[in-house]
Amino acid sequence: MDQQTPRQAMDVDIVCVGFGPAAAGFLATLGRAVTREDGTTAIESRVAPGMPLQVTCFERADDLGAGVSGIVTRARAIRETYPDLDSSQIPMAAAVTSERMVYLMDPVGASRRSYPLRIGDRLIKGLQSVLPVTHHGLELPFIPGFLKKENGLILSMGQFMQWVGGQVMASGAAQLWPGTPVAEALVEDGAVRGVRLMDQGTDRHGQPDAGYMPGMDVRAALTVVADGPVGAVGRQIDEQFGFPPGHHVRDWAVGMKMVVDLRENAGLEPGTVIHTFGFPEPEIFGFLYVNDTRTASLGVFVPSWFNSPVRTAYRYLQHWMLHPYLWRYLEGGRMRSWGAKSLQESGRRGEPYLAGPGYARIGEGSGSTNVLTGSGVDEAWCTGTVLAQAVVDLLAAGKPFSRENLDAAYVERRRRSWVEAEGRVAERARDGFHHGVVTGLLGMALAGLSGGRLFLPVEPRRPYERVRSAEAYFRGRIPASEIERLTRESGQTGQPLHDVLLDRAGWPAIPYDGALLVSHQDALLMGGKVQAASGYADHVTFVDEDLCRTCGSKLCIEICSGQALMPGPGGVPAFDREKCIHCGACYWNCVRPVGGDPDRTNLRFAAGSGGLHSTEN
Amino acid sequence: MSEAFHIVVCGSVAPDPLQTLEPVTTAAGPGLKNEMLLPHVLDPWAGHALYEAANLAKQAPGTRVWLVSVGPKAKLQQVMMTVAQKVPFELVAVDGSASGFADAHATAAALADAIGAIPGLDRSRLILSGGWESATRCSSVTLQLVGERLGIVDQFQGVDRLTIEAGGALRLTERIDGGRHQVSVVEGPPVVVGWATGYLPEPPNNPQVGMANMRAIMPALQKARPVPAAGGGAAFLRVEQPKQVRETRIVKDVPTEEIAREIVAWVRGA
Amino acid sequence: MEQVLVLLHTDETGGLPKAGLEAVAAGARMGAELGGAGFAVGIIGAGVQADANQLAGCGASRFLVADAPELAQSRYATDAAAAEAVARQAGATIILAPMTPRFARALPGLAHRLGGRVDTHITGLAAAGGTPVVTRWFYRQRIEGALQRTARPWIILLDPGAFPAWTGAAGTATAEAVPLAFGPALTRTTVAGIESPAAGQQTIRPDADLLFVAGAGWTKKQADGQPHPADAEAFILDFLRRSRASLGGSKSLVDLSGEGHAVLGFMTHMNQIGQTGATPRHPKGLATCCHGEEPHVVGWRFITERRAVNLDANCGWARGKADVLYVADAFAVMKRVNELLTDGN
Repeated sequence: MDQQTPRQAMDVDIVCVGFGPAAAGFLATLGRAVTREDGTTAIESRVAPGMPLQVTCFERADDLGAGVSGIVTRARAIRETYPDLDSSQIPMAAAVTSERMVYLMDPVGASRRSYPLRIGDRLIKGLQSVLPVTHHGLELPFIPGFLKKENGLILSMGQFMQWVGGQVMASGAAQLWPGTPVAEALVEDGAVRGVRLMDQGTDRHGQPDAGYMPGMDVRAALTVVADGPVGAVGRQIDEQFGFPPGHHVRDWAVGMKMVVDLRENAGLEPGTVIHTFGFPEPEIFGFLYVNDTRTASLGVFVPSWFNSPVRTAYRYLQHWMLHPYLWRYLEGGRMRSWGAKSLQESGRRGEPYLAGPGYARIGEGSGSTNVLTGSGVDEAWCTGTVLAQAVVDLLAAGKPFSRENLDAAYVERRRRSWVEAEGRVAERARDGFHHGVVTGLLGMALAGLSGGRLFLPVEPRRPYERVRSAEAYFRGRIPASEIERLTRESGQTGQPLHDVLLDRAGWPAIPYDGALLVSHQDALLMGGKVQAASGYADHVTFVDEDLCRTCGSKLCIEICSGQALMPGPGGVPAFDREKCIHCGACYWNCVRPVGGDPDRTNLRFAAGSGGLHSTEN
Repeated sequence: MSEAFHIVVCGSVAPDPLQTLEPVTTAAGPGLKNEMLLPHVLDPWAGHALYEAANLAKQAPGTRVWLVSVGPKAKLQQVMMTVAQKVPFELVAVDGSASGFADAHATAAALADAIGAIPGLDRSRLILSGGWESATRCSSVTLQLVGERLGIVDQFQGVDRLTIEAGGALRLTERIDGGRHQVSVVEGPPVVVGWATGYLPEPPNNPQVGMANMRAIMPALQKARPVPAAGGGAAFLRVEQPKQVRETRIVKDVPTEEIAREIVAWVRGA
Repeated sequence: MEQVLVLLHTDETGGLPKAGLEAVAAGARMGAELGGAGFAVGIIGAGVQADANQLAGCGASRFLVADAPELAQSRYATDAAAAEAVARQAGATIILAPMTPRFARALPGLAHRLGGRVDTHITGLAAAGGTPVVTRWFYRQRIEGALQRTARPWIILLDPGAFPAWTGAAGTATAEAVPLAFGPALTRTTVAGIESPAAGQQTIRPDADLLFVAGAGWTKKQADGQPHPADAEAFILDFLRRSRASLGGSKSLVDLSGEGHAVLGFMTHMNQIGQTGATPRHPKGLATCCHGEEPHVVGWRFITERRAVNLDANCGWARGKADVLYVADAFAVMKRVNELLTDGN
């Protein structure tokens, strides 16, 4: 045990935190400017004179693109960077051939539908013979323009990120280091000076253990924060430099997805895009994209405005797949990969300060996601290319990466981009959902069709302000007197509370088939190939354990995508980092604010090592 | 102080252990379904060999360590992002197949050619090493074939420990049966060392080591020569996954006493 | 017409290892199945006549012996040279040999010298169309393949324990001496000895009926919130003593070096099953406190009957990897099992 190991340090020109579409767009664009086609250096390093610009990118996942999802994108910014991009170059990619939007009705009878929705359902059933209803699904006769994926591409994010990673590495423009979580940004004298990597060879509490190596300091004139919606460095920067007044991130979703090997003759054409809403609960949206005749990427989104105190993703994902409209395609299929991630659903309203002394923010963590069209990958890519152009300008002019210079070069450019323009249209599009599903859909339609000029003026509440008690939420389905008994039972048997309550509320047991319908832990192993290297500290911790002891909700346990958070001694949830898939849902589901700051909750979510190990996603 | 060695570690990539592997038939013979989509890691045995090589290098200053790898270029590049962070080494990459169904003799020929072309390689100081078998072909044959091509007759397999003795001799322990080791002493290089696991832990990720390595690794990858798929190997009659689904009887909510008796009866039974 | 040679070596006692007798039986069968080609036996070692005599009744048409004091040592250079001399004198086209550590080391090199091919870890042997068909595992026992070769000579190394051993009466074998010449270049290596685990710690028993796997769960906190490493060690070692089982471990247990978990001192990398560990052969296997995930379970390929004890009813064993899963506390179960097992079984 060598606690004397000194902390190493190294200097680069630019360090990036996270390798997602934003960092990919940034590095792909920057790379072309740093090294000319003939291999000579156009932009020299400031820290290693004579060498090309030294750019390094740290990604916490063990592989590039491990753990993301199938997406459908218009790929405008991506195609600007790669004009010759054709879907046959990238595994699992397909051009969009058809789109459907389907309202799924409830053949089970357990879904909690509001009065207006129930009226709507009755009307639809009554008019079935003249409406495009099939297998309990109403196919919307048209898709609003703002939702259509014109000239779109279905992509496996994992495969796409691996492909881009290969391009970036081969060009020599940047070095990509997966399996390297960043612990924090280095802040000195009010400016960001680089990052510090996570300590290795520690016990789960972060104390030095066998093979201890303190995390290296990587100093850089510019730190590009591209660590996504739940990135720890992004959050640290927010705490350090503040959040713009009137901006907040109060809307989230956890997207849980699979890639499925379809049975022969499943009946789905490659390039088919299906979006669903209405089932298993009206708040839960779903997607199914067909990569090829035998492969589909699919999943559901469980949002923060779904008020169940036992909201969870996996069980609902299974019920969604079993809906007759979808099951006719999916039956006989096999799970190929599985995973989940958090989505920032506040969009532009959740935009932090985009730049500051020594740092700039890009991607989903910078509020680039368009919450009206439900797209984020291309937007993130665009912010990355915009920043790269700004960086090239500043380097050429010999200007330092101060807040003023970055505001002028990067933020101004971003304000003139289509990401900004479309983001403004989308800004308040989702607020209606804070009132209810029908209101939400109306609000989206209003915003979409009016170009953002009209919207429903509902002020979003914080996620924990919305969560209802189990008695209230299940009123009419489960008598209040039974809730207590069922909760105790769950505590004794170890069966998850959401399963106990959903069973009682009328949701049928899942008929496991060992191939597509499997237990949650099976999904982790078979689908997610989840594992974590030893020697790292736990990355999910609680600020004040007393708050956990007195917390009646434990929503963090219910929502945990990997069942990594489980009931623990004294009421403090126990965390098993070997099961964590780093979705970050626990972070925005904690119901206890802490430290006198209503926007800070009791659960700390840092960048950890390990997680999902499939890039077929 | 020990004489410096020239350690050449042979090793390639293998699918990450938790992946689902399914055999398929291709024009070139059997293969794995979606092989290029599967995340790969450095073959775990080869990894042990590489870390042992780095450890030896620390004891004998001036030692050079090469990793010679035959595998698909794209996969080698991906794996280097992690492996390059572990220990200092130079990469010699050959663009070929890392499939478990590829012929060991063809792989050995490609490795031997690549090793023969390493400028300044000193045979009298050569430790040719690697894992004693791969996690793909699992044959425990390739290193011996490369050794023969290089004319090395002092070969060891299943090695867990190598120590440098006074006078330059090398003492090695090789796994034999029943958890035992055979201890041998060889006068010095050239030797072939096929490593089992040894006793070293996996080194942590060190981006400084990675950056230093990458300066040469990227050009090495770009220079990787393709080797054609060799014919004249085995003819496969059948390649299949075993049907391993047992009807598991799950015994729950049964007293310990009953379970213990059942286990004892089973252990004692025929 | 194929020329089948069964190549053997003596072990440190001067006798033939059991795996060698398995190769003899396989060779006799192969010789018959390849159109009555018959077979020869070649033995490498020091003082080998007695071994040839042991095989006198096996049906071999020739007994070639490479007998030299240098061959008392298990060493690549001299073994490969001797094997080459035997193979050339026999004119062998098919060479069957046991995959003992000694031959696993040397015989692949022989394939190169003879300009032939070698296949190892062979678990099945048959003949089709006048040519052997061998079966072996790929990707750590995940995929099985059957293959044939036209290249000759073809060296086939048989996995110990995969084939029945030859049994028969000893007699007098007419041995053909194979001339050998070992120059100094072949004796740069000397065998210094054998290292065994300390007596009482001999936990690997290849011939045991039962493989007992202890997983990482033994070192984790139990229901009372504390780990119980002393109890774990006592129950496991007690069970091994009473049942004469062979001990295996999972990679996670073997790798543990802290993290707040006490480590079982007698568990080493040698005990690891699956992943970078072994795939031993035993009729029965009992897994305790182990998840049963795929990379570990690949090491169970040659365990016929499988049972597991684990508190997690959803562990890997439950999903078709074991015949029986006992959802119970292994500490309590093994304690009682030990009480029920009397010494000497």
